[in-house]
Amino acid sequence: MTSPGPAIEWQTALGNAKLCLPPCHVIRDLLSTGVCVRCIFRLSGIHDRDCYISPINESELISVLEEQNEIKCNSTTSTNCCVCLGVLCPSCVVPEKPGADLREISSVNELALLISDMVKGEQYRIDEFSLEVSLPPVITANERALRLYLKQKYEKEQWFKDSFLRDHMSVKDTLKLVLNASLENYLAVQNVETLSSSFRIRLTYSHSETSQKLQSMLPNGHDSKKRERGSRENGSSKNCNEPDASAYRVLELIEDQNFCAQFQVPPGKVDKPCQLVVACCRTPTYIGGRYLKYSRNVSQSRWIIDDERMGETSVEEIIGENVRQICQGDGYKFHSAGREDIDVRMLGSGRPFLVEVSNSRIVPSSTEIEQISDKINHTDKKLVGVKNLKLVGAEAWDLMREGEAEKQKQYAALVWISRPLNVDDVCNLTSLKDMEISQKTPIRVLHRRSPLERSKVIHWMKIEKVEGTTQYFLLHLCTQAGTYIKEFVHGDLGRTHPSIGSILGCRAEILQLDVTDVKMDYFD
Amino acid sequence: MAENAERSEETLYKPSPKSIEREKQAMEEEPKEDLSSLLLPNLNDLPQNPPTAVKFNFSRYFLPDFTKPGHDQYIYRHANGLCVIGLAQAHVALKEEGGVTAVDFNVGKSDRSELKVTGKRKRNAQHFESNSALCKVCTNDNFYIVRCCVKGSLLEVNDRLIKQPGLLNSSADREGYVAIIMPKQGDWLKIKDSLLSYEDYVKLRGLL
Repeated sequence: MTSPGPAIEWQTALGNAKLCLPPCHVIRDLLSTGVCVRCIFRLSGIHDRDCYISPINESELISVLEEQNEIKCNSTTSTNCCVCLGVLCPSCVVPEKPGADLREISSVNELALLISDMVKGEQYRIDEFSLEVSLPPVITANERALRLYLKQKYEKEQWFKDSFLRDHMSVKDTLKLVLNASLENYLAVQNVETLSSSFRIRLTYSHSETSQKLQSMLPNGHDSKKRERGSRENGSSKNCNEPDASAYRVLELIEDQNFCAQFQVPPGKVDKPCQLVVACCRTPTYIGGRYLKYSRNVSQSRWIIDDERMGETSVEEIIGENVRQICQGDGYKFHSAGREDIDVRMLGSGRPFLVEVSNSRIVPSSTEIEQISDKINHTDKKLVGVKNLKLVGAEAWDLMREGEAEKQKQYAALVWISRPLNVDDVCNLTSLKDMEISQKTPIRVLHRRSPLERSKVIHWMKIEKVEGTTQYFLLHLCTQAGTYIKEFVHGDLGRTHPSIGSILGCRAEILQLDVTDVKMDYFD
Repeated sequence: MAENAERSEETLYKPSPKSIEREKQAMEEEPKEDLSSLLLPNLNDLPQNPPTAVKFNFSRYFLPDFTKPGHDQYIYRHANGLCVIGLAQAHVALKEEGGVTAVDFNVGKSDRSELKVTGKRKRNAQHFESNSALCKVCTNDNFYIVRCCVKGSLLEVNDRLIKQPGLLNSSADREGYVAIIMPKQGDWLKIKDSLLSYEDYVKLRGLL
């Protein structure tokens, strides 16, 4: 692409484009003002990508327009476009690594290569991508300034009245037009227009020199207070967004007359191009399923008091870490439909859960998901197991939370009473259906929960005798979500009533508890 | 069984290492776990008299002759710092003929049964000193003042005692508790060493 003079495709493209372009004297004027060739093309309504990727410079453009066959000279301008500030030239500076020296980019190819190297370097596995571009507000101001300038100078001319600027493309759209195809080439996947892809490449352009000038030029008024508060409270990244948003708002409201008074028309030339920061990220990946907990020494979530861990490990860490590893993500968040105490096993159908992986380098295939399942289910110590593991969408979160309060749970408790169990006891307990109980906030959680009296329903109970004992039995029960089972058995010093003890008229203690079913339609 | 370390908040009785092994084996042999076999306990693990919920979840402390001779009270302290206050076994009120006949929370400057504590932080709870009165316990011939024993916020009084004062006669150590107090860590540490353990209290009073 460094061959002297335009090649055949460009020549054809340019030939067709000529019809859209304004007359030669206007082009000369624009060029001398400092507008780049590509900005001229886009403002004229040229949508042909071939025109933009041709490395045609100013003098070549003139030659083509004036139908000269010889190329006069190939002086390349050292200044950047006064409108797009080099974004379309393309010319920008990029830090090689965060905080390192700046590197100059001067062609579409170079830029596309830089981006694709970054994507490949992070080892992302993608099947599509979305490009997000963020430009400094000063470019909008520049464009407005240029339009006002042209209007002032040429509004009496025919070409202006006809169609100029009617079909124009924004800097953002032009950049995407130019860049997407090259990126598609290097990354070997399709670009998706609207932000529907899970993989986002974000290009953030900034130009401190002109942006600062713009900030000081805009009317202050109430905005100054907002800016001060903003810069004190937020970190540096947020600082960019706050002034940007308010700058756009002010620009929208300001009238042409005031604008011309404040802002340089046409926009002034700049010698430094924009600074570009490239970032790529994947939107969170969700993996859901049901988990079982076989150990009485594993907490559900990471539990650390005074630098010491409670329990051997946690369900959250076992599942979350395995998922994160295979997805090659930065981190994970574990969510579940309810939870159980550290010493309570989760058996039977299992409890629905969701793992949210941030910035996963790969979106796992069903084989890879099976790998995660196998890894968790076949460890030496069988502490936790997973079932029905699969990739789910973001709506799974709401589905899991939906109706959580109504879901019924089933338990098996090992109960001891202070006298032998008799036939009447069994009849008594099994005949109680949908019994309402009242539970004051259990003492064991009273330090961190509101002191309330909560009404709960015990749907049914079944007794299973334990052979060889008279005072022990297995109590199977189905209750409303949120019922404190342990307190229902021992009564919590009378603060839960009725309780097993009060119903049977003796003292009752609970030795073990297991969750045997969490009734939920989803994740089955 | 020894008193539990302060840390266990919610744990139940743990099975022996042998039965843990047996459980593991059962699971390995049948990948589709047989639920009922998992649920049934190993008979060897079942004690004749398991520890009570109170013994298991709280550390029990005793204050004999608190402010007056014979006024024995207990503090059950949970791992989360909350203290349950009540009349100890050898309290003089429990020895009287007819036992306790009435309980009145209207002592000191306010009716303790009227207080309403709300919210997670319990900021509107009233603060009391260790010798503040909680309630008046009446017998046929006498009445006795029950006090806080530890400085802190009063979270709850057992208002069931108003309608059922007999709870103090039948189960002063459980359903007959008097109040729940939330002391600050510092205030608890100040009195901790002056308290008796269950064993020492039993020895002192010659019980059991």
